[in-house]
Amino acid sequence: MSDTGTQDAAASTEPVAMMDYFMHLEYHEVVAPNFRRYGEALMNEKIIGGKCPGSCGLIYVPPRSFCPIDVVEMTEADDVELAQTGTVTNYTVVAPVQYYGQEETEPFVRASIALDPPGGSLMLQDILDVPVDQVRAGMRVRAVWLDPAERSVDEIDNRAGRGAPGLIKGWTPTGEPDVPEGQYHDEGF
Amino acid sequence: MEDIAIIGYAQSPSWREAEQTENQFLYPVISEAVERAKIGRRDIGFTCAGSCDYLSGQTFAFVMNLEAVGAWPPISESHVEMDGAWAMYEAWVRLQEGDIDTALAFGSGKSSPGNPREIYPLQNDPYTLTPLGADPVSLASMQARALIEAGKITEREMAEIVVRSRRNAESNPRAQVKGSPDVDVLLKEPYFAAPLRKHDLPPISDGATAVVLATAKKAREVCERPVWIRGIDHRIDIHQPGFRDLTVSRSAELAGKAAGIGDAPVEFAELCASFSHEEKILREALGLDDGVEVNLSGGALAANPMMAVGLARIAEAARLIAEGGRKRGVAHATSGSCLQQNLVCVLEGD
Amino acid sequence: MSKQPCAVIGIGQTKHKRRRDDVSLPGLVREAAQRALDDAELTWTDIDAVVIGKAPDPFEGVMMPELSMADALGANGKPMLRVHTAGSVGGSTSIVASHLIETGRHDRVLTVAYEKQSEGNAQWGLAGGRSGGMGAGGIFAPWMKSFRQRSGAPEDIGWKVAVKDRRNAAKNPYAHLQMPNLTIEEVKESPMLWDPIHFHESCPSSDGACAMVLTNEDGAKRSSKPPAWVLGSAMRSELGTFPGRDTVRPQAGVECAHAVYEAAGVTNPREQIDMAELYVPFSWYEPMWLAGHDIFTPEEAWKMIDAGETNLGGSFPVNPSGGVLSSNPIGASGMLRFAEAALQVRGMAGDHQVEGASVALAQAYGGAAQYFAMWVVGSTLDAVEKKKHK
Repeated sequence: MSDTGTQDAAASTEPVAMMDYFMHLEYHEVVAPNFRRYGEALMNEKIIGGKCPGSCGLIYVPPRSFCPIDVVEMTEADDVELAQTGTVTNYTVVAPVQYYGQEETEPFVRASIALDPPGGSLMLQDILDVPVDQVRAGMRVRAVWLDPAERSVDEIDNRAGRGAPGLIKGWTPTGEPDVPEGQYHDEGF
Repeated sequence: MEDIAIIGYAQSPSWREAEQTENQFLYPVISEAVERAKIGRRDIGFTCAGSCDYLSGQTFAFVMNLEAVGAWPPISESHVEMDGAWAMYEAWVRLQEGDIDTALAFGSGKSSPGNPREIYPLQNDPYTLTPLGADPVSLASMQARALIEAGKITEREMAEIVVRSRRNAESNPRAQVKGSPDVDVLLKEPYFAAPLRKHDLPPISDGATAVVLATAKKAREVCERPVWIRGIDHRIDIHQPGFRDLTVSRSAELAGKAAGIGDAPVEFAELCASFSHEEKILREALGLDDGVEVNLSGGALAANPMMAVGLARIAEAARLIAEGGRKRGVAHATSGSCLQQNLVCVLEGD
Repeated sequence: MSKQPCAVIGIGQTKHKRRRDDVSLPGLVREAAQRALDDAELTWTDIDAVVIGKAPDPFEGVMMPELSMADALGANGKPMLRVHTAGSVGGSTSIVASHLIETGRHDRVLTVAYEKQSEGNAQWGLAGGRSGGMGAGGIFAPWMKSFRQRSGAPEDIGWKVAVKDRRNAAKNPYAHLQMPNLTIEEVKESPMLWDPIHFHESCPSSDGACAMVLTNEDGAKRSSKPPAWVLGSAMRSELGTFPGRDTVRPQAGVECAHAVYEAAGVTNPREQIDMAELYVPFSWYEPMWLAGHDIFTPEEAWKMIDAGETNLGGSFPVNPSGGVLSSNPIGASGMLRFAEAALQVRGMAGDHQVEGASVALAQAYGGAAQYFAMWVVGSTLDAVEKKKHK
C-alpha cells in the first residue's frame, strides 16, 4: 500500500464539534414569457413594463402575467415602453459581508429609481460616477447600458425583480437639478 | 367541532415542466376554485398556503405566491412549509374559531427545475442520513423490499397497481402519466432501485391545487353540492427508518381511526401513494378492503406535483362526490420518506 | 361555536449564542421544549400535538425539519405542523398553536420555534445565494431613513434604542448580547452597515430556540403557577412589492394591530397595554412599530424614546427582554416576543420584569415588512376590562 503523501493529522484534544457539509444544488428553470420579453427588450436597449388593464393602472417592471392588485390577467398587449431617465427616490449604502458567492468588496449603493412618465420603477440599482457618500434622493439620473457585445440575458430569470443585471450597467447623473423632496413618491420599491 | 364543507376546488394540469412560474400557474387555479365556490375573493376569511423553498430553489420563495392570492388590501393569511393538505388542515382549524365563514387553502410546487435525488436527502436527519445521500427512492426501495420479504406484496402486484393507476388516469385530464401498459412487459424492465422499477416511481411534476372551505351555514347558502369534511386528522411517525416497522404505517392508521374512517362504509379512496407498494401499506392501515375503489384519478403515480399532490387527492375526492355521484370517500396525504407523516380526511356528500 | 380561552402555562428558551456547538439541532429545540414542559409541570406524554416554526430551511440546510425533529420532540404518533411565515414565523406559530386550544381540538399543545444560524450561512441565505446581497437590513434601511424624515426625529433616536435594548438584555440571562455598558458614542462610531444603520444598531446572528406549552382553562387551573391568558391574536399579510406601496407604515401592520386590539377588547392601546415586545431587529423599528401599530403618532413615538419612556421603568416599556437587537435566532425571535410578553403578565420575568404588568402586547413581522402576527396576553381573562374601570 503506497503512501500518497498524506500526513498523520496532529491528534486533536478537542472533541469534534462541527463538520462541514457542502452541497451543490442546481435548478434549471424555464424563463416565463413575460420575463423573456423583458430580457429581449433590454438587449435592444429598451426598458419595458406592463400596465395593468384593470382599475389600478399600475405599471410593473418587469411586465407580469397578471396584476396582483386587481387580480386580472396581463398579456403582451399590456407591455409599454418606458423612459430611461428618472429620479432616485431612496437608496442605501451596503457594506458587503463576505459569504460564499459574494463578489463585492467595497461599500456599494442600491437605489430605487422612479422612471419618468409613463412611469414604472426599478429597484436595487447601481449609481455610477458618484461617490457613495454623495448619492442622494431626488437626484436625476439616466440609464447607462453595457456595450452590446457585453450584454447578456443570462441573469434575467423568473426573479428579475432586481432590475436589469447584465444589461444596464447603472445610472448616471443627468446634471439636472435635484427634484425637491415631496415632489417624488418616496418609493421603497 | 363545526361542520365544514369543501365548496370549491381546482387543480392545474400536472406538467413534466411548466412554462410558467409557480405563482403564474397558481393564479388561475385559485381563481377557478373561488369561482366554483360562488364567493368573491374578498369574501375569503383566511388563506393558508403550502409550498417548499427547497423545491423552488430560493429562500422565501413562498412570498411570491402571495401575488396569486390577491393580497391587497391586506388579508389574514398563513403558510406551512408542507403539502397543501396541511394548509387545508390549518384553514379547517381556523374556521372552527367561529368568526369567519370561508377559507382558501392551496398547495403548489415545481419539481422540474431541481433534481429530486439531490434535494430530498436534505429532508432527512442531517447528522446520520443526509450524509449518506439517503433519498426517498432508496428509502422507498427498502420499504418495498421489506414488504415483499414479509409476504405482503409481490413485484407483479406492484406492477398491477401501476397499470390500474395509468388506466384510471386516462379519464383524468389533469393527469400526466396515462396508458394501458401490459404487466408482463413492465416486469421485463430493469430495476431502477431494486426492487423498484421506473414504473413504480412517481413522475416529476409541476402543479397546483386549491380548495375553498366553508362553515355549514355558508355552505348551505352558496353551494348546491357541498362536500362535508366528516373527519380530519394527521399524525407523524418516528423519523429514523430503522426504528420503525416499514411494512406498516402506524401514523396513517392512527390518523384514519381518529378521522373516523370506520364510522361508515367507504366507497372510494384517493391515496397519496407515490410508490406503487405504498398503496398496499395504506390500504391496510386505513382498513380499506378490495371493494373500495382506489385512485380513480390515477393517484400520485399518474401526477405528482409535490406540495400540491396531497391536496390534489382531497380535490379529486371532492370532485367524485360533488360531480361523480359518489357518497363517501377518503382522501390521504403524506410527507417524508416511507410514509412517515400522514393526513387522512373523510369526505361525504349530502 | 364559542372559543375556549387559551393559557400559556409553560415557557422555555435556550441561552442564545452566536454558536451553540454543544447541542445538535434537535438538542437545541429540545432544551427549550424541556424547559417549557418543566415550567408547565408536565411531561412529553402529556402533550397532544406539536406545532413547530422556523425561518427558511436553507438557513441550516435541513429541508422540512419537522420530519427529522419528530423523534426529539416526542411527536411520535401525534399531529405535527410546521408553520413558515418568514420573520414573523415565531409569532404565527404561537397563534396557530393557540387556535388548536381555542377550538377545543387539543388540550395541551407544545409549540417551538428555533434557528441554528451557526450551522448555515444566513447572509448567504438572505442573499438568495447570489452576490451583492442586501443583507438583513439593506432593504429596510431606506424605509428607516424615510421614517426619520417624515417624523422629524433627530438622528440619535436609533442609537438610544440600541443602548436601551442592550442594557435590558443584561438583565436577561438568556439574551445573546450582553453589553450593559454600551454607550451612545460607541453606537455612533461603530461601522456603518447599511446607511444609516450602524453595526451596534443591528441585531446579532444567534442560535436559539423558544418553546411554550399552551392549554385550556382546565389545564390552567391545574397548574401551580399563574398562567398568561391569550386575550386576542391576529395575522395579516400584504403584497411585498407593488408601485406606490407604503413600506414605512405598512397597511397590513395597521390592520393587524386594530384586529388584535378589537379581539382583546383594547380601545386605548397606550393606556390599556402595560408593555410591548416588538420585533425590532434594527433600532429605528421601535418608533416605526409604535407608530405603525397606532400606539403613538410617529412624533410621539420618537419623543417617548428620547425621554426614556420606553425604558424599563418608563411609562411604556418596550422590549425589556433586550429584544431582537440582543438575540436573533430568526425563526425563534417572533416566539420569543410572544413568550416574553407572557412571562411579563405571569410576573415571571425576573430582573427584567415590568412591575405590575397585567396586559402585554407582542408583535412579530417578516418578509418585506409584509407579514404580521400579534397577540395580547393578560394575567386574567378580564385584565383589559379592569384597565377600563380604573
